Amino acid sequence: MDRRKVDVVISAILIIVSLIILTNDSLSEGGVETDLGSMFLPRIVACFIIVFSAVIGIQSLLKLSKKARMEDIEKIDLTGFMGVNIYIGTFIFYWFLVPYVGFLLVTPFVMFAIAYLLGGRSWFAMTAVSIITPVLVFYGSSHFLRVFLPTWSLS
Amino acid sequence: MFDNIIGGFSSILAVGPILGIIAGIFVGIIFGAIPGISAIMAIAIILPLTFYVDPIIGITMLLAVYKAGIYGGSISAILINTPGAAASFLTAQDGNALTKQGKAGKALDISLFSSVTGEALATLVLIFVAAPISVISLQAGPIEKVFLLLFAFTVIGSLAGESIPRGLLSCVLGMLFAMVGLSTITGASRFTFGVTELMAGFTFTPMLIGILVMPEVISTIRLRHKPHHDLALSKSANPDDNRINFKEFRSVFRTILKSTGIGTFVGALPGLGSSTAAFMAYGEAKRTSKTPEKFGKGSVEGIAAAESANNAVCGSSLIPMLTLSIPGDDVAALLMGAFLIHGLTPGPLIFFEHTETIYAIFAGFLLTDLFLLFIARSGFGFFTRVASLKRHFIFPCVTIFAFAGAFTAGQNMNDVLILIVFTIIGYGMRLVGLNPAVFIIGFILTPFLEQNLDQAIAIVGTDYHLFFASPFSWVFIALSIFFVYSSMRMKKKSSSILASTLEKTIDQKGGAQ
Repeated sequence: MDRRKVDVVISAILIIVSLIILTNDSLSEGGVETDLGSMFLPRIVACFIIVFSAVIGIQSLLKLSKKARMEDIEKIDLTGFMGVNIYIGTFIFYWFLVPYVGFLLVTPFVMFAIAYLLGGRSWFAMTAVSIITPVLVFYGSSHFLRVFLPTWSLS
Repeated sequence: MFDNIIGGFSSILAVGPILGIIAGIFVGIIFGAIPGISAIMAIAIILPLTFYVDPIIGITMLLAVYKAGIYGGSISAILINTPGAAASFLTAQDGNALTKQGKAGKALDISLFSSVTGEALATLVLIFVAAPISVISLQAGPIEKVFLLLFAFTVIGSLAGESIPRGLLSCVLGMLFAMVGLSTITGASRFTFGVTELMAGFTFTPMLIGILVMPEVISTIRLRHKPHHDLALSKSANPDDNRINFKEFRSVFRTILKSTGIGTFVGALPGLGSSTAAFMAYGEAKRTSKTPEKFGKGSVEGIAAAESANNAVCGSSLIPMLTLSIPGDDVAALLMGAFLIHGLTPGPLIFFEHTETIYAIFAGFLLTDLFLLFIARSGFGFFTRVASLKRHFIFPCVTIFAFAGAFTAGQNMNDVLILIVFTIIGYGMRLVGLNPAVFIIGFILTPFLEQNLDQAIAIVGTDYHLFFASPFSWVFIALSIFFVYSSMRMKKKSSSILASTLEKTIDQKGGAQ
């Protein structure tokens, strides 16, 4: 994938967001009056975002229009991205399930799924690690750190 | 000062801190030695565990993870030519060449001895230099601090990024994210869009793990089809090949001292980091060596130079953080976060408000070097076996530790959502060449900038020219311009060298055909 095209799109998005920050007064609510005001620094930062995004975007646009040879650094390698999507999907699913089903019940399945995704096929060892690690983390955090990870709460 | 140092040792020589240091060293070496896991990842994962212990135990444990992690990176570099961090790249060249000659033990030994020597000497510099600098920096008022922080943003952004605009953009994006939530100055809620969970801003720990740690996991998942390399420590029949003797160590001691000096100096400058230090020291050692032809082909001197320089950065990178509140690199930014979580605000006042704690941490630093030497020396075999664990056992555990660490910060699931969101942002940033570490530094320093800017405006009123009345203002402006200019020149030079190398390669290929 050509990173220069991504640069142009991201630069455009960042410039639009910065323009909204510069022009919209409702992004800050309440607070006391000061010499600077609550939006002074965010607006200065927004100006800088516009400048740097514009520099990156224009440079990439010029290279694209001149059809300049793509450097290695400008190539986004998408090999193996399906696995990344599955991993992030699994993590979001995990985040969604844990409050209802509990850390101890969901985590072994998630660990096993990630191990499988990473190419693990030693079923017994993977199962053992997937069960022992959550138990250690759950009881370790509750006993030593006083952090109580979510438990079953469907009722 | 000496009373404080002795007091520091008496605080650190207790069961809790010593166990913390030992645990930190074990975790650091193992994480550092596992290819694909860096010291920074280890610190971020261990960070939530330290919330509930005394700052002396927690911070010294994190520093032990840091130091041991940097050293651990050299184990995989030497044994399988896979540097755990960019700073170990040169160690990998010479170390792996020695491994191929059956001298892995010698390479590991010199790497350990030079790492520990570099670290210990840099720590001594930190101890003796930090407090006097902090006395000077105490003289700085809000106006000077504003210029100092702007200087820090400019230097870190321009030096650490892939290009100057990308580095600076990473920094300002971090600044923007830091302003989400209630303003500490006015009490106004900014960029919350009516979401009450955003009123407190983004929780630091999940954001940090998401930006710095999880993208490494994603990279591993993306490259999951690459074959796994087992770490193995082969022993030579000749005992001299398995260790470094005193004569050999003495012959490279001058190189170690010089490289430590380079590492300490580079580490004290914000934005350069351990890779720059290692490359500079290696270049200097090669230039002055009697056997420069051996460099890159198994030179003990080369390993000594690279390792002592990159480990010296560990101690000296804390100098700007502790004296000026400026984290010099990503690890220092992370440690600054850890200090803040433990109620210690890095800056000149730390030496006066938390004297006992800070000197105990310094003493812990020196003690870590001692323990690192003994633990690493006696456990090469053990660490290589543990670090050989297959990635399908390691990365599911890292994911769960990251989840539990994010949850620990505020004991709610919203923090886990922050972790997921910043994981995606962090990985996206890497793909488009933005620097996550600079983003974090921008995020951490913005509240200080806003506070000092507000105070500075209150002082000058409408006489804005007073901003430029102090000589410090002009010094920092001049330094910022100098660093941006020199960074531009440096990047231009390196790209022209790269282009000429490419041309030569293409010509050679053309000639061969």
